[in-house]
Amino acid sequence: GTQVKDVVIKPDAPNTLLLDKHADYIAAYGSKKDDYEYTLSEYLRMSGIYWGLTVMDLMDQLHRMNRDEILEFIRSCQHECGGISASVGHDPHLLYTLSAVQILSLYDNLGSINVDKVVEYVKGLQQDDGSFAGDKWGEIDTRFSFCAVATLALLGRLESVNLEKAVEFVLSCMNFDGGFGCRPGSESHAGQIYCCTGFLSVTGQLHRVNADLLGWWLCERQLPSGGLNGRPEKLPDVCYSWWVLASLKIIGRIHWIDKAKLRTFILACQDEETGGFADRPGDMVDPFHTLFGVAGLSLLGDEQIKPVNPVFCMPEDVLQRIGLHPEGFLTSENMLEMSR
Amino acid sequence: MAESEEEVDVLVQRVMKDISNAFKKNPNIDEIGLIPCPEARCNRSPIVLVENKLGVESWCVKFLLPYVHNKLLLYRQRKLWLDREVLIDVTCTLLLLNPDFTTAWNVRKELLQCGLLSPEKDLYLGKLALTKFPKSPDTWIHRRWVLQQVQRECCPQGSERKEHASGHRGDSTPHSERLQRLLHEEIKVCSDAAGRYPSNYNAWSHRIWVLQNLAKGNLKVLHDELSSMSHWVSMHVSDHSGFHYRQFLLKALVTELSQGQNHPELACGRESPQLPLRTPAGSHSPPQSNGDGLASSSEDLHEATVPHLFHDEMELCTDLIETYPGHETLWCHRRHVFFLWHHWKQQQRRESGSIFLRPGDSCNDPLVEANGESANGQPMDVDGVSDRVKHGGYTQDSKRRKRGPEPPCPRLTAEHNFIDQTLATCRSPEQRRFATAYRKWLDSVIVLCVIAANSAEDLGIRGVSRSHHTLQELGTPHLTLSFSDLLTDTDGPS
Ligand SMILES: [Zn+2]
Repeated sequence: GTQVKDVVIKPDAPNTLLLDKHADYIAAYGSKKDDYEYTLSEYLRMSGIYWGLTVMDLMDQLHRMNRDEILEFIRSCQHECGGISASVGHDPHLLYTLSAVQILSLYDNLGSINVDKVVEYVKGLQQDDGSFAGDKWGEIDTRFSFCAVATLALLGRLESVNLEKAVEFVLSCMNFDGGFGCRPGSESHAGQIYCCTGFLSVTGQLHRVNADLLGWWLCERQLPSGGLNGRPEKLPDVCYSWWVLASLKIIGRIHWIDKAKLRTFILACQDEETGGFADRPGDMVDPFHTLFGVAGLSLLGDEQIKPVNPVFCMPEDVLQRIGLHPEGFLTSENMLEMSR
Repeated sequence: MAESEEEVDVLVQRVMKDISNAFKKNPNIDEIGLIPCPEARCNRSPIVLVENKLGVESWCVKFLLPYVHNKLLLYRQRKLWLDREVLIDVTCTLLLLNPDFTTAWNVRKELLQCGLLSPEKDLYLGKLALTKFPKSPDTWIHRRWVLQQVQRECCPQGSERKEHASGHRGDSTPHSERLQRLLHEEIKVCSDAAGRYPSNYNAWSHRIWVLQNLAKGNLKVLHDELSSMSHWVSMHVSDHSGFHYRQFLLKALVTELSQGQNHPELACGRESPQLPLRTPAGSHSPPQSNGDGLASSSEDLHEATVPHLFHDEMELCTDLIETYPGHETLWCHRRHVFFLWHHWKQQQRRESGSIFLRPGDSCNDPLVEANGESANGQPMDVDGVSDRVKHGGYTQDSKRRKRGPEPPCPRLTAEHNFIDQTLATCRSPEQRRFATAYRKWLDSVIVLCVIAANSAEDLGIRGVSRSHHTLQELGTPHLTLSFSDLLTDTDGPS
C-alpha cells in the first residue's frame, strides 16, 4: 500500500475562528511596502488588494483600509485601451481589470474609472470562437472567459459581448468527468471548474452543466483530513477548498461533502500568532489563502462572517446593492440532468 | 557590502554583466539556481558557473531584483530610455528571478516583433526559467506566443498551416525542419518541467496545446508520444496530469483513426462494416511509405486499430493498478479509458445509421457479452440491446469476416470481474475504496449514458418511461443514492 497524500491535523491545531487576528494581519500587510516579497508580488498587486479588501469586508472591517489611496491607485492603473494593470507601469490585463472592478464595487465607486473604456477593452478581447484573450497578446483560457463576464456583469453591461459564442467556447472545455480545463482537451482542474461554473451562472446557462457528474468529481476532492484538493492525488489546500466548495454551491451540491470536517481543516490552517491562513496547517500565511479560508467558512455557514457570493467571491450585500442576482443555483430538481 | 544607492548601482551593473558573460562563455547553460549564501564573499562575483549550471548567490538577489524591476517599470512608463542590449539584459535578469513578471515578457515580445530578438533565444530563456520555476504560468504563456509567431513566420497568411505544421509527406523545406525542431524541443521542455514538479498542470496543458497547434492530426507524432508516455506514466503513477495527457493522446488517435474510417472510398463497403477499422490511417497517412522515417511507424499505424489501442491501454492500466495499489490516479485513468471506449462504441453505432445494433458490434460492445449476459451472469437488459443481439446471432459471421485476430476489448463484465477480484484479494484500504468507487461509477455514469443514448434512439419504440423503469430495476433509482453510498464508503461522516 501507499500513503494517501493528505495532511494530519494535530490535536493542538486552532479550532476556533480568530477573526481579530486576521483583520490585524491584513491591515498590517499593506504597510510593509519595502519588503522584498512585496516587490516580488507587484505583478499581481491589484488582485492582492482585492483579496485583502474582500476578506476585510467579509469580516466587516473594510473601514480600516485606506480607501482614498486605493481608489487613486486604481485610477492610475487604467490604460488608454481601457484595461487595468496590476500596478503602475505594468501592462493591462483582464485578470487585474476584474480585480479592480471588484474593488470598486466593494467601495461602491465604479464611477472613478472610465467604465465605457473598460467595456470596450473586454469586448475587444473576445475572439471569433467566443473565447477571451487575457490581454492583447492573445493567450486563451477559460479563466479569462470568467473574468470577462464577471467584469461586465458587475458593470451591468453583460450584453456587450457575444454571450452565445462565449458559452459555446466554455462548454467546449467540458470533460468526460463533468469538469472543465483551461482550453478544449485540457485536464479538469478545480480552479478552472470554479471559473466555468461561475461563468455559466453569470450567463444563466447552468442547466448545461452535468451537475451530478461534476458534483461527483468535486466531492472526490475531499480527503480524510477534511480538506479538499484541486485534482486527484494532490495535497489539500485552503484555496482549492474554496474553489471546490464554491463550485458545489453554484451547482447545488454543497451537501454532498462533509462540511464539519472541512471546517476543521480550514480552521487548522490559521496561524494563531500572526493571524491569517496558510494553504495547509503549519505553512506560511498569505492574504490569498486568508480570503479563501474566511470565504470558505462563510459558505459553510459561519455566522460571524458576512454571507459570501460563491460566483463573485464578494459579500452578498455588495451584489445586492448593485442589483446583481446571478442565476439561481441549481437544486436537486435538476438531478437527472445526466440523462440528457 | 553595498548599501548606498551608488554602490548598489555599481554592484548590479557588474552582476548583470557577469550574467550575460556567463551566457556568452557557455551557450549550453541548461539550468539555473539560487545558491544559499547569506553574505557576500569579498571580490567574488555572486554569479557562479559550474559546468552547464548557472548559480546566483542568494545575498545579491535583494539588491538585484528591485533594481531591474524598477528599471523596467521606468522604461515602461517612458521615464527612462534603455537601448536594446540593456533591455535584453534587464528582462533576462528579471525573468530568471521572477518569471511571472508579465510585463517583462511583453517587452521581449515587442523586441521580437521588431526583429531585435530571435524566437529561439527567447524560448531558451524561458526554458532556463522553467528549470527553477517549472510551473510559472507566464513563462508557458509566453512560449505559446513565441511559437505562434514562428509558425506565422513559416507559413505566411496562415495558408497551408496545417500542411506545414504537421509535416506530412516528408516535406523537408527549411521551414518545416525548423517547426519539427521546435516541436521536439518543446516536448523536451515539457518533459523536463513535468519531471521537476509532479502533476504540473501548466506543463501538461502546454504539451497538449503544442500537439494541437504544431502537430495537428499528425498520427506519427501521436503514436510516438503515446509509446514514449508508456514508460513515463509507469514511473509516475501518481501524476494525474501525465495520465490525462495519455487520455488526450488516446482520444486524439481514436478521432484521427475514425476520421480515416469515414473516408468515402473506405466507408462504402457496407457489407463489411469492420473493414475501415483495419485501415485506420485513411487519407492521413499515405499507404506507400517513402523512406522518410515514417516507414516503420506507418506499418505500426495499420496494426493499431481502435480496439487494439483500448485493449492495450486497459492492460497497462490493470498492470499498474495491481503493481501499485492505492493510487487514485490509476483508477481515474481506468474510468476515462473505459468511458472513451464506451463513447466510441456508441458513436460507431450511431454512425452506422441504423436504430438497430450493427451486427459486428456485438462482440465488442463494452456492455454486452456476445452471449447477451451481463456482469453478474444475469440477462442484462439495461441498454435494451441484448435481446436484439440474442436474436441477431451475427457474432460468428462478423468474426470470420475480420482480418487478423481481434483483441479482447474492455467490457463491463470484465470490469466487474476486475473489481471483484481486487476487493477479494487486496488488503490496502485505499485500493478497496477506489475499487468500490469505480464500481459505483460504472453502475451510475456508464449505465445512465447507455439508457440516455438508447432512450433517444428508441423513442418511437419503447418510449422514455422504459428507461426509468430499467433504472429502478438496477437498484439506482436516483443517482444521489449511489452518491451517499460512495461518501459513507470513504472517510465521510459515520
Ligand atoms: Zn493554495
